Amino acid sequence: MKLLPHWVSRPALAGLVVAVAVGAVLPKVLGLSVYSQNQVTETFLFVAAALAWNWMGGYLGQVSFGHSAMFGLGGFISARVLLALHLPFWMAWVVGGLTAAAYALVWGHPTLRLRGPYFSIATIGVGEATRLVMTYWEDLTGGSSGLSLPITQGLKSELYWWALALMALVMASSYALRKSTFGLGLLAIKSDVDAAADVGISPTLMQDIVLLLSGFTVGVCGAFYASYQNFIEPGDMFGFDRSISFVLMAVIGGVGTIIGPALGAVVFVMLRQYLIGSYPQLYLGIYGLLLIVVILFEPLGMMGLFFRVARRFGLMRPELEATLEAKAAVGGAAADPGAREGSAP
Amino acid sequence: MTPTRRTLLTAAALAASAAILPAGPARAAKDTIKIGATLPLTGAEARIGGFYKEGYEYAFEQQNNKGGVKVSDKTMKVELQLLDDTSTQATAVSLADRLINSDKVDFLLGTYATNLVEAQSAAAEQNQMLYVNGGGAASAIYKRGYKWVFGLLAPVELLADSMMKWVDEQQKAGKLPKPAKIALLWENTSHGKDFRKGVSEFAKKSGGGYQVVVDESFELNGKDFSALLGKVKAADADLFLADAHLPDYITMHRQYVTSGMCHKMASYGARGSEKQAAEALGKKNVEYVLSAVWWSPLLAEKSKLDKEFVDGFKAKHKRDPEWYQALGYETARALFVAIEQAGALDKTKVREKLAAMKIPSILPGGELTFPAEFGQQSHAPFVVQQNQPDGSAPIIAPADSATGKGIAPNPNCGK
Amino acid sequence: MQRFTELVVFSVLLAGLYATMAYGLGLIYGVLRVVNLNHGGVIMAGAYLGWLLHEKFGIDPYLSIPVVMAVSFVLGIAIYRGLVRHLPRGPAGGVQSLLLLFGVWLVLRNAAYLLFTGNDQTIRTEYSTRSIAAFGVALSVNRVAVFSIAVLSLIALHLFLTRTFTGKAIRAVAQNADSCTLVGVDVERIYSLTFGIGTALAGLAGVLGATLFSFNPSYGSGDLLKAFVIVVLGGLGSVVGTAAAALILALVEGFAIYWLPAYLTGAVGFVILVLVLVVRPGGLFGQRVLG
Repeated sequence: MKLLPHWVSRPALAGLVVAVAVGAVLPKVLGLSVYSQNQVTETFLFVAAALAWNWMGGYLGQVSFGHSAMFGLGGFISARVLLALHLPFWMAWVVGGLTAAAYALVWGHPTLRLRGPYFSIATIGVGEATRLVMTYWEDLTGGSSGLSLPITQGLKSELYWWALALMALVMASSYALRKSTFGLGLLAIKSDVDAAADVGISPTLMQDIVLLLSGFTVGVCGAFYASYQNFIEPGDMFGFDRSISFVLMAVIGGVGTIIGPALGAVVFVMLRQYLIGSYPQLYLGIYGLLLIVVILFEPLGMMGLFFRVARRFGLMRPELEATLEAKAAVGGAAADPGAREGSAP
Repeated sequence: MTPTRRTLLTAAALAASAAILPAGPARAAKDTIKIGATLPLTGAEARIGGFYKEGYEYAFEQQNNKGGVKVSDKTMKVELQLLDDTSTQATAVSLADRLINSDKVDFLLGTYATNLVEAQSAAAEQNQMLYVNGGGAASAIYKRGYKWVFGLLAPVELLADSMMKWVDEQQKAGKLPKPAKIALLWENTSHGKDFRKGVSEFAKKSGGGYQVVVDESFELNGKDFSALLGKVKAADADLFLADAHLPDYITMHRQYVTSGMCHKMASYGARGSEKQAAEALGKKNVEYVLSAVWWSPLLAEKSKLDKEFVDGFKAKHKRDPEWYQALGYETARALFVAIEQAGALDKTKVREKLAAMKIPSILPGGELTFPAEFGQQSHAPFVVQQNQPDGSAPIIAPADSATGKGIAPNPNCGK
Repeated sequence: MQRFTELVVFSVLLAGLYATMAYGLGLIYGVLRVVNLNHGGVIMAGAYLGWLLHEKFGIDPYLSIPVVMAVSFVLGIAIYRGLVRHLPRGPAGGVQSLLLLFGVWLVLRNAAYLLFTGNDQTIRTEYSTRSIAAFGVALSVNRVAVFSIAVLSLIALHLFLTRTFTGKAIRAVAQNADSCTLVGVDVERIYSLTFGIGTALAGLAGVLGATLFSFNPSYGSGDLLKAFVIVVLGGLGSVVGTAAAALILALVEGFAIYWLPAYLTGAVGFVILVLVLVVRPGGLFGQRVLG
């Protein structure tokens, strides 16, 4: 097909179509109750958010603990727009996303010069400062009282389809960002910034693009969330716990892989479902343990496990194995499992 | 693994996840009324959530002991389906969704904590499910034009107002200076904002009787208040009015006492009379602190209905109920009465009865109504209490519930 | 003028606590190049341990410090030997160790919830509300005690690092681990020890904080961020640098109330953090954190 760029593989395209189709018929086939359908809507949303986080945390290798800043900003801007202008909600989402993207650029551009842990620490600072300022900024967020959107009957079930579409779009973008020439450039930056610059890749420009894309998408997710919940407040939207949830979903699913974060998001929602019923007080601890286990034993998270199984059964193609070596979970090429023992700083 | 396999994997995972989610259950024959609720039984608000649970359970027990709720010619038992929302908004909303759409409860009782109620009530309204709550005080909850949401907790602005009314009486009697300068500190939450609104509006309407000289918010669970208290000290106010949750009350008041400050009247909003505070701060240091609260067991001295409730609760739990249990109890009871009045489980009929409700109540003032002008939020008065040197905290206002006299200005502040 | 003096004095006293909070973090990073995101968790654990000893055995919190520090030290060594040791060192390990230790923090938080519930706790002793008059200001006994202990421990630490063989070995490893191996220093043992000491300092900060403020299982996250600000501002491995940075932070936070609403003074630390990282990542005392 000449319509698509050369790096799009037929199977991947087919896979996406199948996933969308499954999502489309899921409610009917499984006879889902309204409640379950809502749960799936939320899952789609978190998949999108986790994938978008992964563009920065996984593809670029810069782990952000402050993504709730964009999520919240997207949400509140969109809500305000809806309250003031009565636009169709998806337009308000775009406005929210664009604002979030701009904000991401403002704080991200200067801080992306920092490497590794220092960038992550800066993001914690950004996230918390944003939360405090936004809670104080009543005219925008309603302060600690939050914002309520008028209730539209039937919106929640309609949002199922929007969430499916959003997720499909983000999955496709995730694939594109990795497989395209742009994606190769990102890999190069992640492995060795200076070498990449030497061969003519402009790290700053590419980082900014990823920042904008990630910020925009997470902002749209926040806007969606506002329309979905009808009530948002700064403590929840801008909270550290929310930032952490993106990190957890991506890392447990497989940070740096194309769809690892999607799996992570699904597990996250499933686990929460199970835990609220039976062991609500173990929520944090279980995620913490999972995180520890993933980092120590399988940096590529769940995807890593699948790859191992696939390798065992000879389902892996050789070139895929090669890219896996280059594809580090976090922290660049040196996190290759082969090079683990005693590398000095 | 090829991309197709990978995407199929995701699709399969999604399908699997949906499979473990509950589908709609079948409808059984109807002989109990299923009432759903969530409460923060774990998490930040677990302590109070547990108290509300006691209140709910006591109400359900009492009702079932009477045989149940009379629905026209049948008497049906009431069953509480209580889930733990872990003090998180998303969980509260999600569980409400489950109770309504999956467990198909007949009615919903609310959770505790304003932000949880605000989020959860939106879900209830969207599903047109009756939602009666005694845990959300912010007036913002009831200003959204919702039809299905009813609140028993009066707004915090009224808390401030009730306290200021008593202070005003003291001022008129010459015990406090006129104009009186107010240092107003409030935690930056819905609760604190409403408190601040109540005080500022009262000051404005007083026509010069009160001047707010310090007006600052602080973060919930803030640690170091020395800079803020320094500002208060420098402002040389007469009245120190703060609104804080228990931990901030303890931390702030400790710093307040250590810095040697003493105001003619001091209050921490709904805090003040807690035993935990007296233990943490020392009895002498909480003397004469004013507090206003939605209900007090001391109301039993003047009201038979309250005495009945307090005695019954005490017999079961071997301790006095506080306002949490009382509100939980009264919320459930209000719903039961409405169902009986409607004579049917039809939510529209029950809703009508709630909207028009006017029944004797354990709340201060003795009556429970859900005025439409306030968005169906009860505006029952608050009881104002003051810690006395003997360790008691009598009710000093409103007059018909009073069990003691308040003292102003604070005699410990003698120079 | 009175208010000015008060603010200065209070800030100086608070800076002592801040410095103690920061030093452990800085030490671990300086030597192991590992960002201990569990720092907040240990601070919280230290607070609870001090509280527990006071509740159950009536031990004065300041007297329980040696116990708390010993337990934290052992905890630190256990975390290092059990978990951190298995991660690659250097820039690659950086973010991985961050996430790993973050996971440990989540587990610690949950453990505290299960053991002690989420309720806020305070330590009350009979001198909790007493004050001493100095510099024309009423100073809380607790604050003076915390400051004194903080200063003493930092001095002790400085002496340890400069006068003892182990201390010098630690500083040497921070500079160049490979060379140390060449001269016969057991680098792994030094790493273990450093992690233990850093954790012990966090425990100390926790107990000290518990005598001043109320706390719950989420305690420590705010302190962690302040510690970052100080470490980044003051550079690594310098007690003087840390102390100066702590003082600057405390003063800026305190005086911010003159021109910011009190609520926003909490954001001051974060803004400083981001600004310093972006504008002068080496801190005021120089140390490369880029690349």
